[in-house]
Amino acid sequence: MEQTVNQMDDTASAYNFAYLDEQTKRMIRRALLKAVAIPGYQVPFAGREMPMPYGWGTGGVQVTAAVIGPQDTLKVIDQGADDTTNAVSIRQFFAKTANVATTEKTADASIIQTRHRIPERELREDQILVYQVPIPEPLRFLEPRETETRKMHALEEYGLMHVKLYEDIARHGHIATTYAYPVMVDDRYVMDPSPTPKFDNPKMDNMAALQLFGAGREKRIYALPPYTKVRSLDFEDHPFEVQSWDDECGMCGARDSYLDEVILDDKGNRMFVCSDTDYCTERQEAGHRGPQHHDQPLGSTKSSPNSEKAAE
Amino acid sequence: MTLNAQTSDLLPGFDHAAFDSNAVFRVLLDAMSRPGRIYDLPVHITAPDGLNASATATLLAMADMDTTIWLSPGCATKAATAHLKFHCGSPITTNVAKADFAVARCDEDLSFITELSVGNAEYPDQSATLILLVDDVSESTEMICRGPGIKDTHNLAVAGLTPAFHAWRAENHHLFPCGVDVIFVTDTKIAALSRTTRIEVK
Amino acid sequence: MYVAVKGGERAINNAHRLLAEQRRGDKDVSEIQTDQIEQQLSLSVTRVMAEGSLYDRDLAALAIKQARGDLIEAIFLMRAYRTTLPRFAFSNPTKTAEMDVSRRISATFKDLPGGQILGPTFDYTHRLLDFTLMANGENPADAPSAENPVDDHMPRVLDDILNYEGLIQDEPTPVDEDAPVADLTREPVKFPAGRDLRLQNLSRGDEGFILALGYSTQRGYANSHAFVGEIRYGTVSVEIEPEELGFPIDIGDIELTECETVNKFKGSKTKLPQFTRGYGLVFGQNERKSISMALVDRAMRADEMGEQIMGPAQDSEFVMEHSDNVQSTGFVEHIKLPHYVDFQGELELVRRMRTEVEARLAKAEADNSNPQTEAAE
Repeated sequence: MEQTVNQMDDTASAYNFAYLDEQTKRMIRRALLKAVAIPGYQVPFAGREMPMPYGWGTGGVQVTAAVIGPQDTLKVIDQGADDTTNAVSIRQFFAKTANVATTEKTADASIIQTRHRIPERELREDQILVYQVPIPEPLRFLEPRETETRKMHALEEYGLMHVKLYEDIARHGHIATTYAYPVMVDDRYVMDPSPTPKFDNPKMDNMAALQLFGAGREKRIYALPPYTKVRSLDFEDHPFEVQSWDDECGMCGARDSYLDEVILDDKGNRMFVCSDTDYCTERQEAGHRGPQHHDQPLGSTKSSPNSEKAAE
Repeated sequence: MTLNAQTSDLLPGFDHAAFDSNAVFRVLLDAMSRPGRIYDLPVHITAPDGLNASATATLLAMADMDTTIWLSPGCATKAATAHLKFHCGSPITTNVAKADFAVARCDEDLSFITELSVGNAEYPDQSATLILLVDDVSESTEMICRGPGIKDTHNLAVAGLTPAFHAWRAENHHLFPCGVDVIFVTDTKIAALSRTTRIEVK
Repeated sequence: MYVAVKGGERAINNAHRLLAEQRRGDKDVSEIQTDQIEQQLSLSVTRVMAEGSLYDRDLAALAIKQARGDLIEAIFLMRAYRTTLPRFAFSNPTKTAEMDVSRRISATFKDLPGGQILGPTFDYTHRLLDFTLMANGENPADAPSAENPVDDHMPRVLDDILNYEGLIQDEPTPVDEDAPVADLTREPVKFPAGRDLRLQNLSRGDEGFILALGYSTQRGYANSHAFVGEIRYGTVSVEIEPEELGFPIDIGDIELTECETVNKFKGSKTKLPQFTRGYGLVFGQNERKSISMALVDRAMRADEMGEQIMGPAQDSEFVMEHSDNVQSTGFVEHIKLPHYVDFQGELELVRRMRTEVEARLAKAEADNSNPQTEAAE
């Protein structure tokens, strides 16, 4: 592999372990202890300016920097993939500033920092999942004022959220929220799960691993302790349901994972692949094959069932 | 920080500030995330008179000039006060209501706990954390804990807890989301009770 | 055949090389030096210091060079560096009344003690491109020195002149003089925010944003008509008072521009009417920013003055949450990061809804073209 991404080669030693100074880490750590003690509640913290832009994972990076120790093995994913550029950049930041081991294997990681996905593989008690959060306030698009939303959380006044979801049903026949789908934590706080697809919501419920959420720009930290009840908001007549595909992963044939759509040409042909690259790789290593895998005999590549869709 | 004659009597803090405070924090994070589970203190540290090793490590890892510490009469020795002022730089208060961290021995008069800050409905995080020095913690079924962080139940026994403490804890739980979180510290072990934890006392 | 795109790392490395190459530009043109930026692009330097919240001319010049002249990027570099610096002390309040003044003007009085001092300003230049600057370069004659030295004592229009008659509101004194001044870089902001936090936020806020908000208050989105009571620009000394010394020591000089506005008066039949005030203070010479800041500061005092909130500049939560250009540029630009997981969710939903609507339309059409059914209904 070539030289590392950043210009910190010469300057890394000028910074503390994991970049942040100890006082900043303590401030974040105190917020984290409160966050696990009040699951789903957004703890304000004095987020620092990081050497990457706001909105690009500064919250997750600060949480990881406060949590990570020399014994840890870090995995960073964006959209489920380890090789997206921002994931590469963040992984290298910690490899450089904390000199920790990194991995692309979900099973080998002790800390997984993620943007927009929860790994398909079930997480264990000895793992920590750190989410990068852009807008931590689930009520923000209903009420832009922090003074108001804070009151609503204090009073457990979540009627507006239900009204919004119900308006969707009235207009579209569906709850039109497909990602950042709000959840109720331990029957008390409505929480934004970060912009993960609602496909991932059920994984948050009763998860064995600790889940930490960092919003750098908005300066909020929140958490889900292991084995915490997390319920996606819904209605009796419109129960919560997750996305499903009629297709399988073109590479590993998985039918149980979240699929990304890959456009093959400008004639409407497309295929689907697992968004979780580690999950897909592991399946392929175990011998699973999808229809577009290059091991398949030539000619078997079937075109996307695009035209058949209407027949549903 | 003013260095004076006492400095020479001061005990050392962490061997490696970044690594040791990280290790202690990780134990505290685990303990608070899994109320009722018992963890080993991961570092070696000498405690000043009035505190024990786990209490000292907890404060060194978590407290600094931005947090106020209250020490019970039994903990507020000259050595402990000097140690915390020097290593944490924390203001030490005699007003328990102002404490971010309140430190006491389990066998002392614990009536102060009702004065600890519990936060408010909008900012329930603005609450105190109680660090209670105890002789022993074990997995005997004295307290059966349920709630977030606990798969089915966790059993926890803490030497010397009084019925008054349990009554306060139960009330504290009902204040949720406000409330005080408790960290039990022995010389070598750490366990915590979050405000979310429902406890059945046997 | 599909092969997943790999090699993010190499792509990033190459992008950085290209960036460095573009920054250097044509190698036949001599490389710009940071001391040239520091001296000759001094207003860029002070803007980067002001919004980067770090007074260091050399670092600001370096940041501007590294950022290829993109000032918001340079501000970001300064902020990211600043955040790693340990904090040794807090300064005493700077005494702008004792400023070594390079420029001082009042719009409210024709003449006043201390006089009007025009100083270095673009104000009365004709904005004509000076082609000789391009052809012959700079070679200015030395500016003549003033015939009379500037008064040592330069009374402040609001505090020393208007307040003498009680014509302007007093700045409320803090309940506890020793209470720490709020610092949004150390503590999370809570609303409603005090004036100390608001002023800090404005002072390091984006110049363009504060300008636009200030402008909006002049066009009816607030009603607090302002006069510039005074603008002064010059150097002041910064003092700290270390605990162990117990007396202040001078740690250096900084350039500041201060603007105080005299705003719409308040009063009633029984209460003596008084003018109200707005305040702006910013690193370097920046009158646009300091005036805008004073306008917005005054507008944000709506609650305190019992005024109805009718414009965004009066809404301190709105102003403070959107004034920081490092925050806003990061979040605005982050939408170029991959979002295909979220988009996939939306795609799936839109396709499903389209299928449902198509089926419904098809059914309606079938019903229409079948009069029997219609008749039966």
